[in-house]
Amino acid sequence: MLFQRKYVLALRRALYKYRYRKRSKGGEQEGEEMIKTENLTKEYNGNKAVDGLNLEIAEGDIFGFLGPNGAGKSTTILMLVGMIEPTEGKCIINEIEVARNPLKVKAIIGYLPEDVGFYGNMTAEQNLDYFARFYAMDANERKKRIEELLELVQLDGVSQKVGGYSRGMNQRLGLAQALLNDPKVLFLDEPTANLDPEGVFQYREQIKQLSDEGKTIFISSHILAEVSKVCNTIGIISKGTLIARGTLEELKNEFGRVGTENLRIIVETIEPLPEIEHEDIISAEYSEAKRKVVIESKSDLRDYISSELFEKGVKVKEMRMEEPTLEDVFLSVYRR
Amino acid sequence: MEAKGLFNVARKEFIDHLTSRKFLIILALFLVISAISMHQGIDNYNDRLERYKEQISQITGEEGIEPGYMPEKPSILLIFQMMSFQMSLLGAILAIVMGFDLITREKESRSLKSLLSHPIFRDEIINGKALGGILALVFAIGIALIISFAMLLLFSIVPDLNELWRIALFGVISVLCLLTYFSIALMTSTVSENSGMSIIYALIIFLTISLFLPMVGGMVAEIVVGEPPESPTYRIPPPPPTPNANENEQGEVIKPVKIEIPMDEEEWQRYEEESRAYWEKRSAIDGAIFTLVPTTNYLAVSSAVLSKNGGGLMFFGPGYRSETEGQDMLERIWKNILALIIFPLVFFAIAYIKFMRMDIR
Repeated sequence: MLFQRKYVLALRRALYKYRYRKRSKGGEQEGEEMIKTENLTKEYNGNKAVDGLNLEIAEGDIFGFLGPNGAGKSTTILMLVGMIEPTEGKCIINEIEVARNPLKVKAIIGYLPEDVGFYGNMTAEQNLDYFARFYAMDANERKKRIEELLELVQLDGVSQKVGGYSRGMNQRLGLAQALLNDPKVLFLDEPTANLDPEGVFQYREQIKQLSDEGKTIFISSHILAEVSKVCNTIGIISKGTLIARGTLEELKNEFGRVGTENLRIIVETIEPLPEIEHEDIISAEYSEAKRKVVIESKSDLRDYISSELFEKGVKVKEMRMEEPTLEDVFLSVYRR
Repeated sequence: MEAKGLFNVARKEFIDHLTSRKFLIILALFLVISAISMHQGIDNYNDRLERYKEQISQITGEEGIEPGYMPEKPSILLIFQMMSFQMSLLGAILAIVMGFDLITREKESRSLKSLLSHPIFRDEIINGKALGGILALVFAIGIALIISFAMLLLFSIVPDLNELWRIALFGVISVLCLLTYFSIALMTSTVSENSGMSIIYALIIFLTISLFLPMVGGMVAEIVVGEPPESPTYRIPPPPPTPNANENEQGEVIKPVKIEIPMDEEEWQRYEEESRAYWEKRSAIDGAIFTLVPTTNYLAVSSAVLSKNGGGLMFFGPGYRSETEGQDMLERIWKNILALIIFPLVFFAIAYIKFMRMDIR
């Protein structure tokens, strides 16, 4: 059985890599669409929580859905998982329209809600068994799957009832319940919100493992560091509308310097620095007995600075261009 | 609607009820009080039986049975009549305790979102919860009846087939009564934000229909139909025309006697008709108001079922009389039976609609 499982996993990985390569060769950002929204809109009392959202996420992607509180992230997820119906537009997952076939969709997705909750009077195993009974699994399959999942989230051997769990344990159990049906698509709403650093580390490992299995993962979060570490594509939502989408690199290139068109180059040397002059240099701040300079310039002058210092016999300890972080990108996009 | 999800939810809810501390405490209290009232009922029954035997032995002498009066053998169903009072109060509390946090607890623990993320329709959840609750109520009533039956056997009282049938029917009616309160609690649990508010709403409705309605029923009827018609005026006939009105021939003083004679026969008949119409109307309004009281309906129907001849009714609402024949029973209590069936359906329908439209965020 173990051999069979490994074989299936290897096949899935191969299939995923093949699809990924196919996408890359074609120069397209996306291959087969796994998640798609068309003009998705949700109104509450005349206020649009989600406003005409168009989104396409390819199979195998780890998509980070960013946005401030109240931007419409959770509402979008609830529509995607078939828990609420859109006012307008539609969600399609694996070519199935969610509003028309919510049960079909739920059978192939897993969902970890924000602040996930369970039945406090039952153990983790009993909770998972209750949920697993909604799928076509017999008693043996359920037992085996639950054992695997509890081991994965390191809750195996915990016999106490869920009512006595910490929030972190609850969150880990939440991931296990989202994986009960071995879903094709996984929706995670603020997955690291209640986890300690060790829990966050384990979560990243689990996401990596799930991604290797070829699952499409949709992560909604406002913890930017987490998104930048695990996601390969990112979407930023504000006031119910998607305002940016792409890989982290694409977003950095597009939005990283919005508002400040200049670059920051930091140079550290062993000997004191000579004066560096170039028409693109806007300012240069020397420090540490002229052994460090922060240059603000209109263009990437690293080649020029390197040659100048080499000619003058100054040994370079470090030279780097300051990269915009996801936080810079997010704030830049959000404040536009 | 898929039955698989429904039964899964119902199974979980049933187990939850049976393992819930509050359910077990109230069920234990309910069973203990039922057993005590059964014991009292059995004592009462044995006393009556003794009296009956004495009467029989007095009547039947050496000459055999005397024609005419024949005492009636007491029915063991009387024992269950005492139980029905406990059922209507403690059973109602048990049903409310079972239902008041069925939905609010899911919202508070946020387990509803987890549940809905799996392949299950919303109606399966609410129907499953109702089914689980009904099964738990059937279980509670079943246990109470089994204990009662065991007590009967302990006291060497063996019911006949007809009595067994009536006891079973009493169980069904008891479940219907408790179901009314359970559906009220389920409804308040669906419309309330939290369990605290839900129990308050459930108790308000319980007190309104159990105490307030019977109290104001008569007042409402009087307001609607007004004062009863006044009787016709009477006239006092004039004294006989004697020379001395106050003395007879023997010289005795005669006191005038007032003889009240209706002034007009037609007027009197009209008064009787108006009065009958008035009381019929008032009785109908009273009856309609009392039909809104589940306890009245329950006691009316259970009393009819538990009377030996099927008609010895003891109703608590106005407009009812005791001792009617068996065939009249259904005619008399069909409204109560209908109310016992309709009330749970109405409250459950409200809970169902509200739950289906509930905003899950």
